[in-house]
Amino acid sequence: MAQVVSAPAPAPQARRAQWPPVLRGFLWAAIGFVVLNTIVDIVDPFRGHPFVTGPSATLGWVGAVVGWLLGVGVWEGVALPLFGYPSRWIEPSTGWRRYFAYSTDHKVIGLQYLGSAMGGFLIAGLIAMFMRIELMSDHLTIFHYPTNYLTAVGIHGTIMMFSVANVALLGGFGNYMVPIMIGARGTAFPKLSGISAWLVPAGILSVLFSPLLGAWTTGWRGYQPLASQDPNGILFYYLGVAALTTSTFIVALNMVTTIMFRRAPGMTWGRLPLFAWGQVTVGLLVLIWIPEIQATFVMGLLEKLVPFNFFTATGSVLSYLELFWIFGHPEVYIIAVPVFALWNEIIPVMSQKSLFAREWAVIGLVFVMLLSGLVWAHHLFTNMRNSEILPFAFFTEMISIPTGFAYMAAIGTMWKGRVRLTTPMLLVLMSMFNFLIGGLTGVFLADPVVNLQLHDTFWVVGHFHYTVIGSIVFTGLAAVYYWLPKMSGRMYSEFWGKFLAITLFIFFNATFSQFFLLGLHGMNRWVPAYPAYLQPMNFEVSIISFFLGLAFAGQFVHIIWAWVKGPKAADNPWDARTPEWFTASPPPRENFPVQPEIVSSLYIYGAQQPVAVQLPAEEELAAARDESLEPEGGSPHE
Amino acid sequence: MESHRQEGILFGVVWIILSALGEWAARIVIRHNPLYYTASNIGLMVEHAFDFIVVVLIPVFAFVALGIVWAMIRFHVKKGQRVELPTQWARTNRWFVGIWVVGTALINILFVLHPTTTATEHFFAIENPSTPQNRHALVVDVTARQWEWIFSYPQYGLTQTVNRNGQDLLELPVNHVVKLELRSYDPFHTYDQYADVIHSFWVPSWGIKEDVIPGETRTLYITPTRITSYAQNPMSRVQCAEVCGPGHPWMEAPLQVVSTAAFHRWIAQQQALQAHP
Repeated sequence: MAQVVSAPAPAPQARRAQWPPVLRGFLWAAIGFVVLNTIVDIVDPFRGHPFVTGPSATLGWVGAVVGWLLGVGVWEGVALPLFGYPSRWIEPSTGWRRYFAYSTDHKVIGLQYLGSAMGGFLIAGLIAMFMRIELMSDHLTIFHYPTNYLTAVGIHGTIMMFSVANVALLGGFGNYMVPIMIGARGTAFPKLSGISAWLVPAGILSVLFSPLLGAWTTGWRGYQPLASQDPNGILFYYLGVAALTTSTFIVALNMVTTIMFRRAPGMTWGRLPLFAWGQVTVGLLVLIWIPEIQATFVMGLLEKLVPFNFFTATGSVLSYLELFWIFGHPEVYIIAVPVFALWNEIIPVMSQKSLFAREWAVIGLVFVMLLSGLVWAHHLFTNMRNSEILPFAFFTEMISIPTGFAYMAAIGTMWKGRVRLTTPMLLVLMSMFNFLIGGLTGVFLADPVVNLQLHDTFWVVGHFHYTVIGSIVFTGLAAVYYWLPKMSGRMYSEFWGKFLAITLFIFFNATFSQFFLLGLHGMNRWVPAYPAYLQPMNFEVSIISFFLGLAFAGQFVHIIWAWVKGPKAADNPWDARTPEWFTASPPPRENFPVQPEIVSSLYIYGAQQPVAVQLPAEEELAAARDESLEPEGGSPHE
Repeated sequence: MESHRQEGILFGVVWIILSALGEWAARIVIRHNPLYYTASNIGLMVEHAFDFIVVVLIPVFAFVALGIVWAMIRFHVKKGQRVELPTQWARTNRWFVGIWVVGTALINILFVLHPTTTATEHFFAIENPSTPQNRHALVVDVTARQWEWIFSYPQYGLTQTVNRNGQDLLELPVNHVVKLELRSYDPFHTYDQYADVIHSFWVPSWGIKEDVIPGETRTLYITPTRITSYAQNPMSRVQCAEVCGPGHPWMEAPLQVVSTAAFHRWIAQQQALQAHP
């Protein structure tokens, strides 16, 4: 990509883009949809159908996504050069507009992913608020039909899982930080990565607008045969998830390849930052399991469209459940492993203490990854032959051992350290506490006979909100605060950061801890109406959850304020040792002025420790010469 | 090194005190039944397993939570305080790592043995179809359709039992083994293969849940141990626990567990009802 950026610009002002890329994307998407939809109508042997049918919407959607991607800039950036046309496309290296177009800069891509994840979180969070309003009473109120409520549940879960939990730490901080943390000046597949970032908004919008095609009642798991019985809205669930999982797959491909082949000299596997280790292990999980769920969802889609009877009583109903959870449980660790890695990334820095038992922390990540493929059937204890239960219960219980290593390393690192209770540190500790509750309530679920009572109740809902929000949202916020000075060059307000973190922690725990009690008391899932005896507690949980919603909104307002208006931050405000802190904030286009070298461990703190990241002096001089020739190449600040 | 040891001892003392307090609180919770209401042999088994896990997990929770809070209180740097680092930090501790790794492994092996294996084996024994009491079980055919539970009693020739309001009703004698035959299909729309979806048979007060899968017949042996009814405790209800479409929230039926004499009176009444509809 160096050529593209440093090529002399042929007067970009003269050729102003006719349309802002995102608007053009919407237009081209609409055209793509109408064209393919109409073609399907023309070849449709069954005349007299409405203009938009299940099959026509499916192929129309493919046209829409292609149009969308081309429209946001893939047309000039990739398609035209691919067919041999001279590329007139110049990637802007500054300005806010580059965040709203196709880009090959991994930092821009990372922020696009983070922005999409944040947007998805706000949308799905708002839907959760509506669900809580409904659950304030034991009968239907704001949702007039149960299908409306169940569709809301499905959209909430799907967006949260596939476009927030899978995206924030992988596509977002993975793309932005990992190349810099390993001392690379770019990623392995910048163009592919630039395309994949734009699949996330396409996926979110597909799922969000799925009710245009009809309601769907299955929740985020899309269980067959119910899904095939549902109206066509379920099609946009499958298609939206296809876009989102493809995006996650490309992120993993890019991250694993980049970490394997583009590490700086001296960045050995033994010195690799923990967060990069997390990305490698998660990347492997994604590369193994995402194709599996995509194949399953293609079968689900065809089952709905054709139909094939793969998953009805005349086929094999259980096959869908097995296929879903073979992916579904590794998915949980796709979410959690980068979180464990981040704890032990941030804690040594904030404690100014060498990472304790680093080998065990890495072993923990790797073994969680390995075991995560052996536990899926614990989601199906209510569905298995008794003889099949015990091995899955065994592996499920065993996976808590490597998970615990993350805690061991974290607690060992803080012991007698110089713990600075900054906002990111506070959020990491809160995240550890929340995930501890999530993990310990999971012990009950791992036990088969207890599971038979707790399965499909609000206990499970509480458990996975503790593990998912407790891990990825709290730690994701910690990462935002930790790297805010790096990404924006600005600092947040320590008072507001802490105040909002504590507020969030209190309301989060007050809301979701009661889910366990509701579950024990007989509250089941996917119900907009329930027996009257559960109403008082649900009412009170709803009230608290509204405050939780406000606490999240407060976080985002503060973060945006700090990003735009915060005071200027120091170059290395946390005295960290990892390479991302040894370049300008925000980092220049190629991350470092010259190729850095890593000369000692990144996690060993001490009074006489040498700086781990070196920028060789001669090359620095050479870089300075280049910079004087090409002014737009090296300027780190906007 | 000496200061490490003192700190460690202090930590250990606080941990033991917290664990003891936690266990004391757990006794109160256990005495009041954390599952709220238990009315079957399987439910009692679940309750015991649940209680055991609570007792073992309290010190684990106390240890990790204390580790987090301890660092915040004992090791934090005050605002404006200059951070001075030693030349070298300890990067591992053979005792801490050893105890942690072996300890977590042991706790998990304990859970695998008890309650996981013991309770599951106990459950298998309850569900074994060839035991004498199971061979003399009261058979109830449970049919799940969208969106209704239909109960029939083939031994008494009853095809669908209802209460005075015409709601499907599951009525059983106390302390007698029941064999539930679970099927998911719609007896009124047998031509439509998409009318059969996954349901889940759940009675909250029984501590048991079993998915009902189209195309499969599943059996569940259970003994109600308590005279109970939906009116007496709403956890005594048959509830569909797996989302099955728009009618899912209302796919429930009252459960009534009565004395043997009352059960036979009820059977006679249902038979009369069926003979003269």
